[in-house]
Amino acid sequence: MSEERLVDLLFWVFAVGSVVTGYRVFRTDSMVRAAFYLLASFAAVGGILVLLGAEFLGMVLILMMAGEMLVMAIVMVMFMMNPAGLNPMWMVHQHRIAVAAGVVAFLAIASLGFLVDFPDQPNARPELATEQLGIELLGDSMLVFQTAGVALLSTMLGVVVLASRRGRYGIADEGSEEPPLQPDEMDMLGEEAAP
Amino acid sequence: MTIEALLLVAGALFGVGVYGALSQQSFVMLMMGLELMINGAILALVALWALAAAGNPQGQMLAVVFMTVMAVEMALGFALITNVYRVRRADITEKLRRLRG
Amino acid sequence: MRTHASPELALLAVGFTMVVGTYLVAMLDRVIGGWVAARPHPWREIVAGPARSAALLILQQRMTTERTDTPSWMLAPALFAALAATALALVPLGPDLVVADPETGFVVFSAAIAFVMIAVFLHGWSPNSALPLHGAYRYAAQALSFQIPFLLAMLATALPAESLSIVEIVAAQESVWNVIRQPLGLPLYLVVGLAVSFWGPLNLPDGADLAGGTSAEDSGIARLLWKGARAAMLVAIAAMGAAGFLGGWWGPWLPGIVWMLMKTVALLVVLIAAGHLLARLRIERFVVVAWVLLIPLALVNIFVSGAFLL
Repeated sequence: MSEERLVDLLFWVFAVGSVVTGYRVFRTDSMVRAAFYLLASFAAVGGILVLLGAEFLGMVLILMMAGEMLVMAIVMVMFMMNPAGLNPMWMVHQHRIAVAAGVVAFLAIASLGFLVDFPDQPNARPELATEQLGIELLGDSMLVFQTAGVALLSTMLGVVVLASRRGRYGIADEGSEEPPLQPDEMDMLGEEAAP
Repeated sequence: MTIEALLLVAGALFGVGVYGALSQQSFVMLMMGLELMINGAILALVALWALAAAGNPQGQMLAVVFMTVMAVEMALGFALITNVYRVRRADITEKLRRLRG
Repeated sequence: MRTHASPELALLAVGFTMVVGTYLVAMLDRVIGGWVAARPHPWREIVAGPARSAALLILQQRMTTERTDTPSWMLAPALFAALAATALALVPLGPDLVVADPETGFVVFSAAIAFVMIAVFLHGWSPNSALPLHGAYRYAAQALSFQIPFLLAMLATALPAESLSIVEIVAAQESVWNVIRQPLGLPLYLVVGLAVSFWGPLNLPDGADLAGGTSAEDSGIARLLWKGARAAMLVAIAAMGAAGFLGGWWGPWLPGIVWMLMKTVALLVVLIAAGHLLARLRIERFVVVAWVLLIPLALVNIFVSGAFLL
């Protein structure tokens, strides 16, 4: 098989794979499998990015998503009532509106490809993509890079503060509750405190 | 790998993401819908970069910004989910009723 | 991407390396274990021992628990073996002897190591049993903490090469090995290599305190495949350390491939000896070490090597 046919075949395999696993995320009963279906969808998109010539972006996407989906699986087990899918599950609201919105979004974006006359300027030197990204990152877009770095740092700090066990109103495991909005609902003498 | 095919796939991913984000009751599943939307957006961006923008490095830069935004959104989303559960004991959207009009 | 071998030859080479590497790790384990305990095993047992225990595992009865997640349970050792094969395929044995040399080989290697987290989590989650799940969660904490020092330690080797391709990284060590101009790199790499391949002192997911951890419910061929995949991943980490830090195929007199094998075996001996000489660490304390000590050390390593290059 010639290289171009192989690339096309791989592209369609990845494309169909990513959409199918993306849909399976919301239809499976097992929550851990949902997280890993999403990982499969991202890995397929990462594969398409590599086929397009953005090798670094594709591999970094796959690398990031491995860690993120592991954390997602753990959060699923924490918060979902049916993590192993031992019971069937169907927790949706406004289902028909959601389907309609999804279809409209798909048609809007897919029709862009057919209706808009995009300029035909393929990437001439895909092997230089990583080098160009590096030069761009530390050259012309240095401010963007630094802003992203500061944003990530502040996110890390904010997340640790938000999710910390020792909150402002006491330790989380001991039921830290914020004071109620009306002062007369407040328990000033500690009568309702747990023994 | 024409632009039409790539935007078709990106649109499908985005559509599934919109369906998930609007229909799921659980916070974590809702976030998965958002992740799928960003997935579709990244694919569309890199497709246009590779086929219509002659490999302009600023396109890759924008993709890096997208991935940063995705990481930030996931991290803050999980922290807020944890916090909402601790304060209101709510793990699905239906249980958050206090701001309901 | 610049690949250097036809697919059939590549498959053969990687498969052969995995089998030989796994056998070598098992033999070295017996040799070093016997030496540390001052009761050396007889040579016949060292050479035939791994084959005998492999045969025993293949003939063992398959036992299963109830309500398992069977596809994930089948997937986990296969995924781990595939990741070890991916990592081994990236290691160059010579300037023209590499199975796959993508332009961003370093990122592919890191992605393979990151997916080990997924394989171990699936392996612990699927049997629907308490102790494997404990092991999976411990590995999640351990791997997420050590991922960053791992990436940073290996990243410093890419600086003198000005490229992310592994072949270029080795080629840039022609004048001086990375272990000499980046002294912090190799010890850091070995420590975090032990952590991400959960061997020896950092064997939290499969440890004896959890009665075998994620492997507690494994039996038969799945058990053999998991142990083999772990050993193959250890070989991959040792080989990548030899390529990135010890100068790969560079060396006087002997041909490059012999040097590469000797350096890999040397790092394997160090890693396996660490398994026998150090007790298993408490992960609650050790992740603090990862975040507070190892990440700043790795960053210092990068700054210093970058400063030397300017």
